[in-house]
Amino acid sequence: MKLTFTGKCRLTCLYGAVRVFGFTITQEQPPYNLFSPQTHCALTIEAVTYETLEKSKKEMRMSARAMLRAHHVPRDARIKLLKNFAPLCSVVLLESLDTSVTRFILNHPEFSHIFQVKRQKGPCFTPEDAALASTGIGKRDSESGLLLSESSVLAVEELIQACCEEDDGCPVILVCGPKSTGKSTFNRYLINLLLNHLPCVEYLECDLGQTEFTPPGCVSFINVSEPCLGPPFTHQRMPRKMVYYGEASCDQDTERYIDTVKCVFNAYKREVPLVINTMGWVKGVGLLLLIDIIRLLAPSHVVQIRGEGFKDMPHFTPEYINLATGLHTKAKLQGKCKNMDVSGMEDWKQYEGESDFQTLTTGHKLLCVQPEFPGAGNAGEARVHSSILRDMAMLGYLGQLQPLETRSVLPLHSLIPYQVPFNAVALRVIHTDVAPTQIMYSVNASWVGLCRILDEVRCQTDGPILLTQTPVCDCLGFGIIRAVDTERKLYHILTPVPPENLRLVNCLLLGSITIPDCVFTNQGPEGEIPYVTSEYSYDISGAGKLKMKKHLKRREHSRP
Amino acid sequence: MAGSGARAGPAKRPPRRNVVAWRSKAEWDQVMVGLYCGDCRLQRDALDRVSAWRSRYGNRMPLAVDCTADLIRCKILDTSGNMRSHELVLSYGLALVRFVNLITERKQKIVNIPLRRLAKEMNIPIWIVNLRHDLTHGKLPQLIACRRGCDVVLEWLRRTYWSRQLGNSLAGECEEEQNEEAEAAATEIEMDSDTEEAQNPQLPAYQKHKELHEKVREVLASYKNQQFGVLQELHSLRKARKAWCNSSSEVEWILAQIKDLLQESREVVAEALLDDGSLIPTAEHLETLNIKCEDNKELLDFKIPQTFYCFWQPLLKGLLSQDFTQTLLEKMFATLKQCSESSEFRPQYLINWIAEILTANTKAKARRKVARPSQSQINKRKLFLHRISLQWIKLIDECLEAPCWATPHLLQLILSDMELPLPADAQENLLYLSSIYTQEGSSVSSPDSSDSSGQPIYTIESLQWKARQDNQAKGQGQRLERQETAVGSVGEEDDKEEEEEMETEPTPLEDLHADNMMVIAEKRATLHGSVWQISADGVQWKDFPLGKLPGQTDDPDNLLVDSYSMMSMLDQPVTKDDGRNSPSMNSPELTGAVMEGLLWTQSDLHRIKSGLQLF
Repeated sequence: MKLTFTGKCRLTCLYGAVRVFGFTITQEQPPYNLFSPQTHCALTIEAVTYETLEKSKKEMRMSARAMLRAHHVPRDARIKLLKNFAPLCSVVLLESLDTSVTRFILNHPEFSHIFQVKRQKGPCFTPEDAALASTGIGKRDSESGLLLSESSVLAVEELIQACCEEDDGCPVILVCGPKSTGKSTFNRYLINLLLNHLPCVEYLECDLGQTEFTPPGCVSFINVSEPCLGPPFTHQRMPRKMVYYGEASCDQDTERYIDTVKCVFNAYKREVPLVINTMGWVKGVGLLLLIDIIRLLAPSHVVQIRGEGFKDMPHFTPEYINLATGLHTKAKLQGKCKNMDVSGMEDWKQYEGESDFQTLTTGHKLLCVQPEFPGAGNAGEARVHSSILRDMAMLGYLGQLQPLETRSVLPLHSLIPYQVPFNAVALRVIHTDVAPTQIMYSVNASWVGLCRILDEVRCQTDGPILLTQTPVCDCLGFGIIRAVDTERKLYHILTPVPPENLRLVNCLLLGSITIPDCVFTNQGPEGEIPYVTSEYSYDISGAGKLKMKKHLKRREHSRP
Repeated sequence: MAGSGARAGPAKRPPRRNVVAWRSKAEWDQVMVGLYCGDCRLQRDALDRVSAWRSRYGNRMPLAVDCTADLIRCKILDTSGNMRSHELVLSYGLALVRFVNLITERKQKIVNIPLRRLAKEMNIPIWIVNLRHDLTHGKLPQLIACRRGCDVVLEWLRRTYWSRQLGNSLAGECEEEQNEEAEAAATEIEMDSDTEEAQNPQLPAYQKHKELHEKVREVLASYKNQQFGVLQELHSLRKARKAWCNSSSEVEWILAQIKDLLQESREVVAEALLDDGSLIPTAEHLETLNIKCEDNKELLDFKIPQTFYCFWQPLLKGLLSQDFTQTLLEKMFATLKQCSESSEFRPQYLINWIAEILTANTKAKARRKVARPSQSQINKRKLFLHRISLQWIKLIDECLEAPCWATPHLLQLILSDMELPLPADAQENLLYLSSIYTQEGSSVSSPDSSDSSGQPIYTIESLQWKARQDNQAKGQGQRLERQETAVGSVGEEDDKEEEEEMETEPTPLEDLHADNMMVIAEKRATLHGSVWQISADGVQWKDFPLGKLPGQTDDPDNLLVDSYSMMSMLDQPVTKDDGRNSPSMNSPELTGAVMEGLLWTQSDLHRIKSGLQLF
């Protein structure tokens, strides 16, 4: 029995066991929140076989009844359920779910429909549908759920085995592949499966654009002990370590990106298996950078998801990685020759690194996965544009600002912000040069990373302190500069970062990640709202942003 | 045309609200004027603002703004005189190549379309495309060609992007027309640019001013002719009034022309508008419109005769941006100061226009909330679509500089139009002061002698000082005070509006108050002793959208900082971690290029350098 659905609900397993997105929920476990929006692959609740100690059918029936009673299932329903009771069946309780975070997201007209169920074709509207609808979910056909290819099943099995054996250290699993081939979905599924066997796994996020547990633009390292039963915007969490890079793509400053990844990877202590997500940029420089990353992080397993149209992408075998030239790293042999004639400094480095080199070249196991869902590897056909997914993740993060007790949604601008003096926190605009006099203009109503640098920030004057270079430093969370008080020299900042962490923040980083437009436009209809206009026309030439047409064909190429 | 039909469709829907980097259209206007003004210092300021826009926009900066800024940068480098011509060619070249490539990019289809064809479609002179070709593939062009190219492209951007965006509220149907016009202009400039360039700098300011004034007068004359033409055609004043308000495409075109001139100088346009025969009618003018001097009762009510109002309303409505309203009002007060009692209509019309503009602005706010855009007939006759914020203190100054019998009334209009009113006692004092000055003591009763501050207000300076003091002390009772301080009937109306609105608005905030207080108290305790605090000035945050503070005006220049300090990072955590903590991380293959930046910081190098001894 399977139920693939769109919507959101809270699932409690009353009897037996079910599996959702790879994660097995048995009757001893607490309720789990399931989020299955239209924007992502639908969740499936699937009954699984389980081992049971009880002998007779009667005993089983008794215990099932006891569970139902304990959860206050009405008598009629109880009788009806038990009539259909069979050995090894599973009983789940689905309740409607309403969290402050989803309430906040749904409050934006742009996203109000994401959990709505698209009407199925066909006239049949069964009582079952009505019951499901009352909990806020709707049935979908099973194809809209997770489709696993044979290769991915095999890969996942092997990875689980590697993680459960504890022979030779913790597996470090690096997942790579072009965008829209299901990397994130694969990761979530893998994490959920691993959590069936392990209390927790760790996760290193190297994809700046589509982050799993944080808002976009950062590299993070997080301990995952709860399954991922929804898309990223439903499980924004506080990472163990996070560095804000400040852009959704690393192409502008790959060196800082590598530094950032290194800095975050340092937090990994090799006690728990690690899953590493990489960016979907695998062409040209992106490929070279990926080689650097693989070499740098030295994974034990590389899962390479291969997409249509990326056939010419090399297989990342250990030999290939050893011999390939990356963007910042060189192959073993080449490197030696080249470094011979450089300065003494280089020689020294070469020497010191010698012993490490062995560990780097011990090689990984390559697992190739061929995705088999419709539209795989074709970013143009993705369900939702990546920037919209980013906006949703940010809304999910900002949703944490909503007070838990209330039913109504408070608009962001009505919340009481924190304040901090200009001269107590350093400031840096990462992605572009801004004239220092204009700095407050640029930070006002902007998205900032709340960071901690090791240097002490102190200043005699009361003006802002501007950093001369972009630090690679701990990021404790994010916030919105709600307003700037130039008279009293204060920043007013809205952030869900808990106050005990906020105390530590002494640096604000401003990147090209911007507050979702809908946050500005949903501030109520009255009065002039800064930065919002209905008079700007995008029809006029040059009014839009720079947009590169990547698939532009030249005349001579289009001929057969 | 299919294209225009498609465009007209969405225009009927409620306008989509977009998020942009600028706070308001006025700011956008200001940057455009700055970029195109020709004064290096102002241009630099505008470029600085554009760089801040880029930071706000992330990766969504409008292309045309970027291109304009790059070209202006080249011009500034050029005028600075510090660069050789070859270097300048390189700078100009890149900016021009980027312009041609990027601006045509969006018109590209799946199969590459030749640039020439796209350029022709977009009215970019073909020689600009040739210039691009030379820059990328051919012999490097001469500086003179690059300069010319830069000027032509800047002009193209001004007409095609900046001016059109500025007039966007009334764009739409006349787009085709403008297109043709732009084309004509572009070719014209192409021919003239050489001579113009040579002449412009030598022109004395006075002559320039005079020429501009003449131009404005001409355009205004064409406006008058247009409006009189309508009257002649319809033979009825009543019909004409209606027709005037439904401004035609001709009027809009005239408006666009004046707006162009406006960018060169707001003052000149304001001056020309106040010439006899424009906003100040001549006797002949009034006769044609059948306005008799004796039935000018309206004039005593501080109203412009209806027919005359309707005659000018479309023009004023289009022109009254935040900046121009300020300029026009200031100019009006200044003219009022100069004109003698003897001249017939001038003072009367000046006073009434000031009153009309101020009242219209006050009402604009109130109406906008209630009225849907579709209730057009009344809306059409308004001067403001929405309320704008002016430099009130400056206006009060100007008003008091031009004392006349109407000063107390005008002052009162200004005071009640302010979105952050002065304290009640200050207002009263000021009105009293002005009425003494104009010998009309009876109109305003003397304020209580027991002034709360104990400091009598005699001058504007002391008033401003007081206002500042009060603003600082205020904060909390902002709203309360606002209701108290309303003076005069207009102000009261305004507040009633607001009050009603407050009532209808659901206030979920109140319910949570108690719970929230607990949470806030906890947070505050955790933050004790930290530089981070909870902002708790009793500010009603919900009344202020993101990016705005109580008491903060929309003027973006308020956010400029004059003092700041730079901090270089001595201890980059990464550099430290790299070497010691994790040997496995220290990839030996990392090339020198990566490491260089991390090994020695700028200050390290400085230290090493200063320690060096040369024999």
